[in-house]
Amino acid sequence: MADATQAEHKWTMVVDLDKCTGCQACVVACHAENNVPIRNKSEVQANRAQHWIRIERYWVGDPPAKARFLPMLCQHCNRAPCEPVCPVYASVHSQREHLNLQVYNRCVGTRYCNNNCPYVVRYFNFYDPYFPAPLTEQLNPDVTVRTAGIMEKCTFCIQRINRAEQQARTEGRDLGPDEVIPACVQTCPPSALLFGDLLNPESRVSKVLADNQRALRVLEHLGTEPAIYYLKGGKSYVRF
Amino acid sequence: MGRRIGRRDLLKIGAASAVAAALGGCEFPRPWVQLEPYVRPPEEQVAGVGTWYASTCRQCPAGCGIIVRVLNGRAVKIEGNPQHPLNEGKLCPRGQAGLQDLYNPDRLQGPVRQAVRGSRQYQAISWEQAITDLRTGLAQAGSSLVVWADCTISGHLLDLFERLTAALGAPPPLVFDLYTALSGYAALSSADALLFGRAALPAYGVEEADVVLSFGAGFLSTWLSTTHYGVAFGSFRQRPLGQRGYLVQFEPRSGPEAAKADLWVRLHPGTEALVAQALARLIADAGEGPPDRVARARAWAPAVDPAAISAMSGVPLEDLRRLASTFVTAGRPLAIPGAALTGHGDAVAQAAAVQVLNVIAGAAGLGISSGPPAEGLLTAVVAPYGRVQRLVERMRAGQVGALLVWGAANPAYALPPALGFVDALKQVPLVVSFRPIVDETAVWADLVLPDRTYLEAWGYDVVEPSFGMPLVDSQQPVVQPLYNTRATGEVLLEVARGIPVAAAALPWPDELAFLRERIAALPAGVFNGAGEEVRWARFLQHGFWQLAPGPAALEAPQARLQPVMVPAPSFQGAAGEFPFFLYIYMPVLLSDGRGADKPWLVGSPDPMTTLMWQTCAEIETNTAIKLGVTYGDIVRITSPYGEVEVPVYVLNSVRPDTIAIAAGLGHSALGRFAGEEAEGPNPMALVGAGADASGASMAWANIRVRVARTGRRVALAKFEDTRGSYGGFVNQAFADQYL
Repeated sequence: MADATQAEHKWTMVVDLDKCTGCQACVVACHAENNVPIRNKSEVQANRAQHWIRIERYWVGDPPAKARFLPMLCQHCNRAPCEPVCPVYASVHSQREHLNLQVYNRCVGTRYCNNNCPYVVRYFNFYDPYFPAPLTEQLNPDVTVRTAGIMEKCTFCIQRINRAEQQARTEGRDLGPDEVIPACVQTCPPSALLFGDLLNPESRVSKVLADNQRALRVLEHLGTEPAIYYLKGGKSYVRF
Repeated sequence: MGRRIGRRDLLKIGAASAVAAALGGCEFPRPWVQLEPYVRPPEEQVAGVGTWYASTCRQCPAGCGIIVRVLNGRAVKIEGNPQHPLNEGKLCPRGQAGLQDLYNPDRLQGPVRQAVRGSRQYQAISWEQAITDLRTGLAQAGSSLVVWADCTISGHLLDLFERLTAALGAPPPLVFDLYTALSGYAALSSADALLFGRAALPAYGVEEADVVLSFGAGFLSTWLSTTHYGVAFGSFRQRPLGQRGYLVQFEPRSGPEAAKADLWVRLHPGTEALVAQALARLIADAGEGPPDRVARARAWAPAVDPAAISAMSGVPLEDLRRLASTFVTAGRPLAIPGAALTGHGDAVAQAAAVQVLNVIAGAAGLGISSGPPAEGLLTAVVAPYGRVQRLVERMRAGQVGALLVWGAANPAYALPPALGFVDALKQVPLVVSFRPIVDETAVWADLVLPDRTYLEAWGYDVVEPSFGMPLVDSQQPVVQPLYNTRATGEVLLEVARGIPVAAAALPWPDELAFLRERIAALPAGVFNGAGEEVRWARFLQHGFWQLAPGPAALEAPQARLQPVMVPAPSFQGAAGEFPFFLYIYMPVLLSDGRGADKPWLVGSPDPMTTLMWQTCAEIETNTAIKLGVTYGDIVRITSPYGEVEVPVYVLNSVRPDTIAIAAGLGHSALGRFAGEEAEGPNPMALVGAGADASGASMAWANIRVRVARTGRRVALAKFEDTRGSYGGFVNQAFADQYL
């Protein structure tokens, strides 16, 4: 559990549900950036598909119901239910940055964390990843390839956070307000996804979330304090 | 380096440097070792530091700018080019997956020959042999040569093909593929020619509009410039002063556009253009709104009966009246014709009928803002379907001596089997495919001479539609070519050298010389550069060259004053025998099938069905109950022209009288992912050989079908209802309350 006094950053994502078109660009970008394997058909049929970010599609309203998209990824909860149940401290909290880390070389695959995650955004590697050559060439060397028996999930592209921090340190300056951009945020055509440090009042997420009446967090009543804020779909006041 | 340096030597050098520093500028005796930099520093190989190359995405013809991160000679990530005005640093999923074209495990590693067509027994040959064979074939074919390219062909390669065919007296290259066919490129372009006197693809300023009526346009999934429209949609939803754009989607099936629309009008298939005409009529009759718009409506609205159209389309007359009023009183209204209305009836007139609403709104500038193409540069113009039909006739009559197929055109997959392309192919003495992977057309080819993928190849692309920003994109190799492939441009130049008439027309030593000559002719752009070398370097560095927009580019073209008439839709197949309408669409990830060989695309969930590796027949809930089928039941869908067997997916996003099937799967080639792992039908099997009344489009959107149970089932590879969150904690109650 996080102690706010130690925090240097509070990495936060804002998902504007009014803008998300469900196009899956974030999903593919995440696969490419984080070496997330694509599971083949029989694995998917066994409910073992693996996407760190997924677009959930709901039907709302009376038939003909309308489709609604909800991008769902690790919520990086401040009080994360996945953390206290891990017997080997593979699922741990970064006090400094408010991130839920998954330490792959500690993970022994008990899957307790998966069981306890109300958002069901943790993915267990039931099989070894399969990259027939030369698809191995596409792998991002900044990110570990996980083997069978390991739990994995969205990291908020921690390799990009580290790279930006390193760059800032090398140049002897503070990290800029919107310097860190995860792969999903970078590619999102309508800019439905925003990312930044909520402790920095200059960041875009701070500005967007300041007094935003559309903001909500998923399953907030569970007290998980997610770091992802969703902006509810709006209405147009056009005469019809 | 002079010799190996040990740790001690390094210390000595350190000491020497310190002394050198102390002595200041004094001459210092030669040190013990001399440190020399690499003669050629491997700039791509700084450990952990990526090199970024700007290039152009070629997954669809839009021409988005990309930057590719290259580490140790490997391309590891594609991002949108943040400088590029078309996509502003963003990229759609198909663009993101470009690496899997490059690193596809089923790529051909060199030229091959197939002794018996269709045998799939490929024998590796040398490039010398391949070029000799091709040269012999071309010399024999002469003026009976036909070149068939897909819409993503680089301008310089199209140019070389054009010069080659012209030299041989053959017809110019034919550009046709399923992507542009199912998007209605030819009809949309002809509709603008009819209305505005200039054939150009329409480009809509969605970001500036406050009311958008989309007549079935899949502009957020696969239609024209989806990434640009995606960016525009973000602005449309968040306009200045807290305004929010209002989107109405007229479509029998809900795709992402209808899901995002403020109003989804589930109209009767085939009545989109009629509804547009009714709206124009109602605007003219009501007389509400700005007087100039009303005056234009009175001049342009055809004499139709809105009540009859209301009955035909199933849209209540009251709704039509309100929509007409909403449209005409809006600040910046916009109407977009979709793909389905270009697939039946008179496609050109139907697209024009929707464009007329933009003329009435005075938003023709919003509706057509394509710039004129840059001088001396070529852009692929999609051929009308009539030309494809005539070509197949000529092939069948033995009048085609050689057929060269470039890129993802893949006619053996894309064309309806009823047209008989594969049969006609048997009458062609030489069939050559240039695709880097064996597709359905290459299965029937004598020679496959794999081109490089777009991440290994040179090129340029005139962005079309350009949205009023005349742009020429550059395409450059970001990695060393993987295999013993050869750029088709090089192959053509080499082949031409042995054919006297062609040699004179293609005198360039290599394709890069030709490309640079073309680019050098470009007028000055926004990146100032003195001298050809500097400008070429900047062209590559930025990934595009932006031309100063000429006055003609932004000015609204003069509209021709003449009402356009659209007849009531007619359908192929009798209503009694074929009770359902077939609705074919291109899904976001697979598009026309060129996504099917990339695991990132075919193995990611479709936004509406959440299916991976599969496509299904989408059937409305009550219809499914009546038919006695449910998720995963395999049904046989029969049209007057063919049948497919396909699993059922039940959802409420289609009309009860409509069966929707995604294009893109049903491959019998294209590598292990598309050909073996993925399963789904190719809906083109249900389409007839005919064209629409204008001859611009395939008649693919007015097919009736019937559905029969087979009694077999298949497990669906879907996301919906499989994760706990889907129907678990984050449940319907949450969705109802907040989404």
